[in-house]
Amino acid sequence: MSGQTKLFGDKAFDLLKELERSSQTIPAFDDDGVRQVLEEIKAIFEENVAQASSYNASGDRSLWPLLNFRHAALQRNKRCLLAYLYERCKRIKALRWEFGPIIPGDIKQSLCEPEVHFFNNYSKSLAAYMCSAGYNQGLPIDLTNNLRPPKSLYIEVRCMEDYGKFELDDGEVIHLKKNSQHYLPRAQVESLVRQGILHHIA
Amino acid sequence: MSDVEDVPETQLEIDVSDGAGLEEEDDDDMEQITAQKVLEILETAWINEMCAPEILPSQTDMLELMVSQVAHMEEQMRDLDKNDFRAVVHSMELERVRYIMASYLRCRLQKIETYTQHILNQEASREPDDKRLSPEETKFAQEFAANVDEYFHKVATQYMPNQQRGEAEQRIVTPNLMSHVFLKANVAVPAVIVGVDDEEVDMAAGSQHIIPYQLVADLIQNNQAQLI
Repeated sequence: MSGQTKLFGDKAFDLLKELERSSQTIPAFDDDGVRQVLEEIKAIFEENVAQASSYNASGDRSLWPLLNFRHAALQRNKRCLLAYLYERCKRIKALRWEFGPIIPGDIKQSLCEPEVHFFNNYSKSLAAYMCSAGYNQGLPIDLTNNLRPPKSLYIEVRCMEDYGKFELDDGEVIHLKKNSQHYLPRAQVESLVRQGILHHIA
Repeated sequence: MSDVEDVPETQLEIDVSDGAGLEEEDDDDMEQITAQKVLEILETAWINEMCAPEILPSQTDMLELMVSQVAHMEEQMRDLDKNDFRAVVHSMELERVRYIMASYLRCRLQKIETYTQHILNQEASREPDDKRLSPEETKFAQEFAANVDEYFHKVATQYMPNQQRGEAEQRIVTPNLMSHVFLKANVAVPAVIVGVDDEEVDMAAGSQHIIPYQLVADLIQNNQAQLI
């Protein structure tokens, strides 16, 4: 293929490798890589179409293995590409569970526009589901809470930053100051712990 | 760690004997079923759901009962003194119930997300009476499927040559029904067929087995056995 040293499918495989190896929550969307794979798919496809018609015309059996080989390469490229997207999908879903309905700014930069769109839609469906899961009681069940089996009612937490006032369900107001320690009901502070504002002291 | 395992059992008992007064009122308008029984059913359903490779019928009714029971208990708890020993035990118990419900629903959502298309196809071929998803879950599944498709289309498939776009059916992820599960027989089940060569095994009540899921799927649905 036009003097390239790379083999068919290498780029698509690279995409997956990079994603797998990256230690970030979600690496930046590889716009370039995806485009190159798509181009390769298109190039292979066009070549195949051209040869398929000459194969039909001449009946030259020697073209047959080549056609098959190209087709396999094409399928592989496609599969790798979709696997790449699917894995990103999974990570984006995990973001929703971890950070709630709003993507933190630094992570948002590594998503492409359709991905942000996907996230918003997913977030909406999930929220709608959680609202309706409370059945006729009007109590939405927040599925993103209660992630771990409860071991005790209260947990000891240390405040990592100045958060300000925090009101508990029974109306008690606590002042969350940096480096202060509190003994609070687990259920009510779980989301703060997940956001990193409070740190659970084991 | 081992004492943590024991706690739920003992507290459940306290809850029942103590909360019996609350539950009797409810029993009148919902055919003779105690909160304790509802919780038991939910717990079994939860464990089954966690262990089974495919999605099981949804326990919508039981969840609904439990949600209202939890709301009711919370109502009662408000009158109790915060430092009363019973209040502590009760609220811990409520936390546990809430965790079970949330975990159960989460587990189902995870399966729906993984096997979206497969589950939707199966649902479409089922009679209205034995649908496995609740209406809310069906809605979620449909939205999710549309959402993933849209994303794939926008980023990749629309740029692919025509003949390569379709084949969405090739991408359907199906659960491996032959994966092995641990199960315990609730009642004696004679002549369960195990293995390909029609080998039969009698399961005694309370006995435990490791077996491919598909062979015992109907036992679990009929509550003759439960996963562990």
